[in-house]
Amino acid sequence: MKAFSYVDAANEKDALASLGTERNQVLAIGGGMDLLGMMKDYLVQPVRLVNVKRLDATIARTPDGGLRIGSAVRLIDLIEHADARRMYPALVELAEQVGTPQIRNAGTVGGNLNQRPRCWYFRNEEFHCLKKGGATCFSVNGENQFHAIFGEGPCHIVHPSNLAVACLAYGATFRLAGPSGAREVEAEQYFQMPDHNLYAENVLQPNELLTHVTLPAPMAGLKSAAYEVRFKQAHDWPLAFATAALVMEGQTVKSARIVMGAVAPVPWRANEAERALAGKTLSEETAGRAALAAVQGAQPMSRNAYKVRVARTAVTRAILKAGGMKVV
Amino acid sequence: MAEARQVPEVAAPAVAQGNAAYAWPTHPTYMGTDVQRIDGPDKVTGRAKYSYDIQRPNMLYGRIVRSPHPRARVVAIDLTMARQAPGVKAALAVVEPNAILMFQGEEVAAVAAATEEQARDAARLVKVQYEVLPPLTSVEQAMSPDAPKVFPDGNVREGAAEETGDLAAGFKAAAHVVEQTYNTQVQTHVSLETHGCVCEWDGDKLTAWVSTQAVHGTREGFAQALKIPQANVRVITQYMGGGFGSKFAPDAQGIICANLAKQAGAPVHLMLDRKEEHLATGNRPSAYAKIRAGVSADGMLTAFDAQTWGTGGAGVGAGFPLPYIYQFPNRRRQHKDVYINAGGARAMRAPGHPQGCFITEVLMDELADLVKLDPVDFRMKNLPPDAPDARWRAYFPIAAKLFGWDKRHPTGDATPGPIKHGFGCSANRWGGGGRGSHAHCEILPDGGVIMRCGTQDIGTGTRTLVSIVTAETLGLPIDAVNTEIGDSLYPFSGGSGGSTTAASVTPAIRVTAVKALDALKAKVAPKLGVPPADLVASDGRLHARNDRAKGMTWKEACRTLGAEPIAVDGEWQPGLSASGTSGVQMAEVEVDTETGVSKVTRLVCVQDCGLIVDKLTAESQVIGGVLFGVNYALFEDRILDRNTGQMVNPNMEWYLIGGPSDVPEITAHLVDQPERGVIGLGEPPAVATAAAIANAIANATGVRLRSLPMTPDKVLAALEQQRAGGTR
Amino acid sequence: MDHPTPASRLVNDTHCANLRHKGMYVTATPDSREHDFYDAYDATVYWCTQTQKPLGPDGRPVHADHCKGGRGCCEH
Repeated sequence: MKAFSYVDAANEKDALASLGTERNQVLAIGGGMDLLGMMKDYLVQPVRLVNVKRLDATIARTPDGGLRIGSAVRLIDLIEHADARRMYPALVELAEQVGTPQIRNAGTVGGNLNQRPRCWYFRNEEFHCLKKGGATCFSVNGENQFHAIFGEGPCHIVHPSNLAVACLAYGATFRLAGPSGAREVEAEQYFQMPDHNLYAENVLQPNELLTHVTLPAPMAGLKSAAYEVRFKQAHDWPLAFATAALVMEGQTVKSARIVMGAVAPVPWRANEAERALAGKTLSEETAGRAALAAVQGAQPMSRNAYKVRVARTAVTRAILKAGGMKVV
Repeated sequence: MAEARQVPEVAAPAVAQGNAAYAWPTHPTYMGTDVQRIDGPDKVTGRAKYSYDIQRPNMLYGRIVRSPHPRARVVAIDLTMARQAPGVKAALAVVEPNAILMFQGEEVAAVAAATEEQARDAARLVKVQYEVLPPLTSVEQAMSPDAPKVFPDGNVREGAAEETGDLAAGFKAAAHVVEQTYNTQVQTHVSLETHGCVCEWDGDKLTAWVSTQAVHGTREGFAQALKIPQANVRVITQYMGGGFGSKFAPDAQGIICANLAKQAGAPVHLMLDRKEEHLATGNRPSAYAKIRAGVSADGMLTAFDAQTWGTGGAGVGAGFPLPYIYQFPNRRRQHKDVYINAGGARAMRAPGHPQGCFITEVLMDELADLVKLDPVDFRMKNLPPDAPDARWRAYFPIAAKLFGWDKRHPTGDATPGPIKHGFGCSANRWGGGGRGSHAHCEILPDGGVIMRCGTQDIGTGTRTLVSIVTAETLGLPIDAVNTEIGDSLYPFSGGSGGSTTAASVTPAIRVTAVKALDALKAKVAPKLGVPPADLVASDGRLHARNDRAKGMTWKEACRTLGAEPIAVDGEWQPGLSASGTSGVQMAEVEVDTETGVSKVTRLVCVQDCGLIVDKLTAESQVIGGVLFGVNYALFEDRILDRNTGQMVNPNMEWYLIGGPSDVPEITAHLVDQPERGVIGLGEPPAVATAAAIANAIANATGVRLRSLPMTPDKVLAALEQQRAGGTR
Repeated sequence: MDHPTPASRLVNDTHCANLRHKGMYVTATPDSREHDFYDAYDATVYWCTQTQKPLGPDGRPVHADHCKGGRGCCEH
């Protein structure tokens, strides 16, 4: 492993001062759950690590009645936060599903949102894939059973963060701090498809930090839930999952936000499903129809057509669960 | 090296034929009861030192450079930069230029450095120039006519055809015929402790702490490879984190470690990482079977015709038994071993059996469905006759009662909703007879007892079994026995494989302990005025059989020895162990037909293993075997990129192994058969699990999966095919 | 039906001294009734002590059928 220096940043200003502009040279380390693995696998060889665990690690009420979550908040702290659970149940349920207790005890919200893809071609050194500067996405003609069913490529990863999916569903904004001040970016604008950005999965620049996630106050009638489908129950990645945020008036869906995970290089907003639900009475049938609409544009690869069915199920069940109905 | 050769065979009876002098106690104190592992506290507190934990003065760390390519020619190896790297004390090339590498992970060069991190970094500085050659990446490709001819004698090794009975007549007698193709995947061993060792030279003598299933076998292996006398090698394995058949030799890494240690003049620690484990330390071969099988209208098997093949990787065969257990009077089979450019297979927990069992048992359920018979009833009609080593006719009803088989619904759970439940069953068989172990026992004048045997405890509880049998024989508490195992300096004992350890070791311990006790009795008898033959040892005393008062404490008895301990040698004798185990398993699954996810909720295993030595460790063996089977059924799969042949999941992230929440409720019902003597148990319970789960999934969903592992994509595809009006 | 003795048991003085398989290190007793329940099959894995692999020094697979007689790398 290349020798690196370590900066224990006391605050945001110190941390920003220690970053650089060249990608993967200076990296922020929170829980290190992903970064240490990347370094041990020689996928990144930074010259400097900047500890950001001492940055804001609080969950605070915003003036408008939402929550502002510091990136350094550990997943376990989010899971145990009563307001977060009451106001944004899908976010907390998804945090509970991350990895193992050890990972949740050390991993942070910022780390979860910014973790790198788990694609086995990206993670194995033998494959010099597109994302690593190579000429080929090996998944196209290779082993793609866990790859994307949405997106035009050229890289077919699925985004690994499950909190990101809930962030889109709740309309979160991310605060990015940089050398010339901070900017607010909507979660939906934060994540980027590979045809826009092949070498990273979001708009965060090497000299910037994602410092806060701000969740707007839940609208009146908001009912939300997440549903993950995983094969192995212990310590596995979901095959596909979905978050449904429904604004309800009685049994009628006024509006909905449906976002799928593990199906595309970014959290995948299902606009068609949202339209299909709007104005409808919530039932197994309307949920199912919305789910069908959600996967309408899927373009499965050679080995992952089953994920279309799995994603559809996840959407149906997330909607029913959000509406407080029987899921299976 | 005649020592390593197969010794003349002794036939193992199905029932121990008695050995009056050393007979097992009829009313044992410890044997057959729940005895906790004597080394449990050492293991959970970290006092137990595994090979990985060994630390020696000035010890270096070794690291191997491996081929990233499944097939390549080595053009050049340059060690210059690696030798100059910080901390490096040794570097060597394992192969010569022009060598052809035949699998990803094949050893090319190695370094040793002061720290593990330095060794890893230095290994990356070894410059190897490869000429990449087109590999064989799958059995389909290797068998195709336009495949590159990678193996000089052919990519496919054709086995002899076997035929019994009259196949044509058998099919003529069939009312129904099934024609299907079945397959099982390549599974790697995933021992929790990886392969490797610490090697230390003292002049021309080598001491190696090895994670091995065979301390004596590995001594011989080091000597033969290094061309040094076996007497100059000592192999130590005090604690071991599993091998499952993959750890019988020093392996390339052992020999490399010894050579690095020699070159550096310092001990070297060379343990592999998880990726190396998946790539280069063995696996269970895949199996494929294209079968045509017939059944008569009244549910009797009539005919079986199969073409089978599979791959054990680069240069290893893929044989497995088929059909398994059930009696097809007319049958034919033609098998082919297919070589591909992937790490070679090794023996793995019941080699061949889980494959043969899965294929046969799934076929059995298909045939049962055709004749509309309950799977258990159908099996009962077609099982071999009941015998002590083949008790399925007794075990199916026992398992059915324990499991609640009468609540099974016909194939296809008609309950509304996406979640379907189902039951499945299967049977297994294994040998498990042993022989050949030696032991040495000392009874010391201060009352101490040492029992030494050059066996090894690979995690199964052998150390505890040695203490139990010694304590039982000498009438002492278990913790009064000093059990010393895991060292090639101790009396010879065979490798722990083939479920032979308990049946090899415990008779040797019994014989040796009885001999030692007889020697003590001879000393004490005159002092007590009781003939030696009338003395018994129990509850820490030596006393007259019919008069407990006429005796002395164990300590007093030993004090009569003066300064001269009793020291006796003993060895395995016939009459205390046997061969042939049988078992039945039943599984319940829950399948989500909208996600394809199957979960095993319950598993009942009825299993015999002769005389039970320690009920607790025996049950642990069964539970471990079942977990092994659950993982084989659902999760494990060595996935090679179809284009490059490189493994995409050489880790425990995508090579799935179930965790605590994936474990079913397991009932381990052991059948005690004290009259048969000791029989091994390591392998049998791992055989039948996947087949029972496969049949349960079919019972739940109404669709048949014929391919392992039974992943959600396969379940959904089968359901889709059914909706589309598929075969059945 | 005639059940041939598995090839794995054939390792003897006609074979190369470097040929190994697990059965040589395990003190098993043959399961005399095995073939009442399944026909002969060969799941033996061989290796060469000189390469510690299932491929010999000449790069060809190691097997009791080949590791004898005329094979160039054989030692006795």
